[in-house]
Amino acid sequence: MIVRMSKVEIIGPKEMLLEVLALIRGMAAFQVEPDMRGFIDTGIEREFRSLLLDKETLGERTYYENLRQKIDELSACLPHLPIRKSYLEPGSAITAVAALVDKHTAFCRGLCQKRDALRHEQEELHRQTLFLDALEPLLKEVDSDTGLDFIGVTIKDPAATEHLMRLVAGLTGGRFEIVTTNASDGTIIALITLAKELADKLREALNAERVPELSFPAPFQHLPLPEKIRRMRQRLAEVATDLSQTGGGLQQFAAHWAPTYQWVREWLDDRLSLLTTTTAIHETRMCFFIHGWISTPDVERLRTILNGKFGGRVVVEEQQVLEEDLENIPVAIKNPPYFRPFELFTRLLPLPIYSSYDPTPFIGVFFPIFFGMILGDVGYGLVILAAAIVVMKISGQRRNLHDAAMILLVSSCYAIIFGFIYGEFFGGPGPEWLFLEKTAVIDRRRAVIPMLIFSIAIGVMHVTFGLLLAFWGALRRRAVKDALLKLVNALFIICLTALAASHFAPFPHPVSRTINIALLVAIPLMLLTGGLLAPLEMLKSIGNIISYARIMAIGLASVLIAYVANRFAGLTGDIVLGALAAGLLHLINLVLGVFSPTIHALRLHYVEFFSKFITYGGRKFEPYKKNRGE
Amino acid sequence: MEKVLLGFAAALAIGLSALATGWAQSRIGSAGAGTIAEKPELTGSVIIMLAIPETMVILGFVVAAMILYL
Repeated sequence: MIVRMSKVEIIGPKEMLLEVLALIRGMAAFQVEPDMRGFIDTGIEREFRSLLLDKETLGERTYYENLRQKIDELSACLPHLPIRKSYLEPGSAITAVAALVDKHTAFCRGLCQKRDALRHEQEELHRQTLFLDALEPLLKEVDSDTGLDFIGVTIKDPAATEHLMRLVAGLTGGRFEIVTTNASDGTIIALITLAKELADKLREALNAERVPELSFPAPFQHLPLPEKIRRMRQRLAEVATDLSQTGGGLQQFAAHWAPTYQWVREWLDDRLSLLTTTTAIHETRMCFFIHGWISTPDVERLRTILNGKFGGRVVVEEQQVLEEDLENIPVAIKNPPYFRPFELFTRLLPLPIYSSYDPTPFIGVFFPIFFGMILGDVGYGLVILAAAIVVMKISGQRRNLHDAAMILLVSSCYAIIFGFIYGEFFGGPGPEWLFLEKTAVIDRRRAVIPMLIFSIAIGVMHVTFGLLLAFWGALRRRAVKDALLKLVNALFIICLTALAASHFAPFPHPVSRTINIALLVAIPLMLLTGGLLAPLEMLKSIGNIISYARIMAIGLASVLIAYVANRFAGLTGDIVLGALAAGLLHLINLVLGVFSPTIHALRLHYVEFFSKFITYGGRKFEPYKKNRGE
Repeated sequence: MEKVLLGFAAALAIGLSALATGWAQSRIGSAGAGTIAEKPELTGSVIIMLAIPETMVILGFVVAAMILYL
């Protein structure tokens, strides 16, 4: 339901403004309106102006904004730790924090830069370790005291090994040894052992052939390979120690100072939010004026709170809501517990305007009925009911999942009820103890035309109900012409339905004559109230009604699939195979039986029903409140 | 012969409208897939839009049923 809103003006002496704003923010029920049009009588607007902050308050605001920026810069350097509550009084701690924040930022920034450099070096060294692990066993196989040199290369393609061997053999005249192994990432590592005087020549050749030699960080580049490996491992250990010390330093700082900074940051947010909101307030020479919207039941609470705090010096005045205000009134939606889960579906739609209707109760009433009419099977209904209960149990804090399960639960109950009416249990007559034969009213599989007529009759009622709601809505807005058009449309549909019904059971002559006269009167009335496009609108409504035939069509498809599944089981001749085939088909039908009725029942609401009486484009009610939950 | 013609007319009514629905859904489906990739929060609206052209095949079905049964 759309919550009833009141247009309110709060007036008080200027020096109390910030206190009043803090109180309103604490209530979290008042939306401040920056535009004073509609709140102030025409002719006296000149006496009001947007509130201008004095020099001192403006200076305070700039000071707080700078301090908040500095705290943000400092916080970006700190690790994320669970923050304990600070018991400092932030107001008095501000000066101390402002004096310390630059020093702390410089200290933490230094530590952060050092940590980043160490992390980068560690990553580089780690990358090299892949190759070191592969090279180390190879080095053990060759004698390192014979004045030989070692060159390590990486080979991506195994086929290139042969080419490398030929190249090295050609350059060294066969005086070399090559051993290969695989690194942990799959790259082939080759260690070439050769005479020192040939090493430079081979390096040049490898470079020309674009065979990458293992590269190492600059300080280790010119060391012999075994020494390289030893020094790199040593450096890796040093980096790990340094990193742990730097991280520890930052953590220690954060554990000590973060709660204070966090607390001060929140206080600054609160204070700045008050100072920023003042731009939406108006003033005269002596007083401030806060204009805005509050739900009608909350007006008295606001008045009591302000009276209690300021002893009548701040006044709350409820103003009359004018016709021109209707499009600007913010919209808040609040529904009873049964309808609340159905807000999941209305959230897919834009917000309705204040003078329109909340679609939630309509979906809450009609959606489960349509779902039940389409699925209409006791067996499927029971399975979905059980699944919905399980999902509700495991959904925990996931609100959307819980709401979806709740909707399924209600809808499955209707599926069971219509299952009894159709006499269906997994597409068949069901067990005897369910007495489906006695409760069945209609056989959907055979009674195609009666079901079609039933579905269209549902459409007639639903669309006519929509038109009558539109008529009532237009009357409330005092749009008489629009109201008359909707009423004539509804009358036309009723007469057409009666005319169609007379095809099956002829009416007495006076009745049919009255219907014909009503139709003849309705056409010119429609043209007068809706213009030349009104008949087209009428045709659209007739199309909308026929669209309800999907209730029968999709239901028929569902029952036929279930019937085929049962026939399958009998045709296989094997009990296991038959049960498997039937089970699989029933499972597919069950999944379809959840999605298809949901989508089509929603479509009937969104396109056919709501288009008749709901006007979208409302403004969401956003009360002034703190940004965090406290 | 009359039964054959009636059957053929019913088949045409449902067949052509099913083809039209399929074509419309293919266009909406591809556009909807693009929409969901960029704005996943519109998934619900896209699913509903995908169901809109099904009116055609349902109307075709109604006409076919009327041809056969009335």
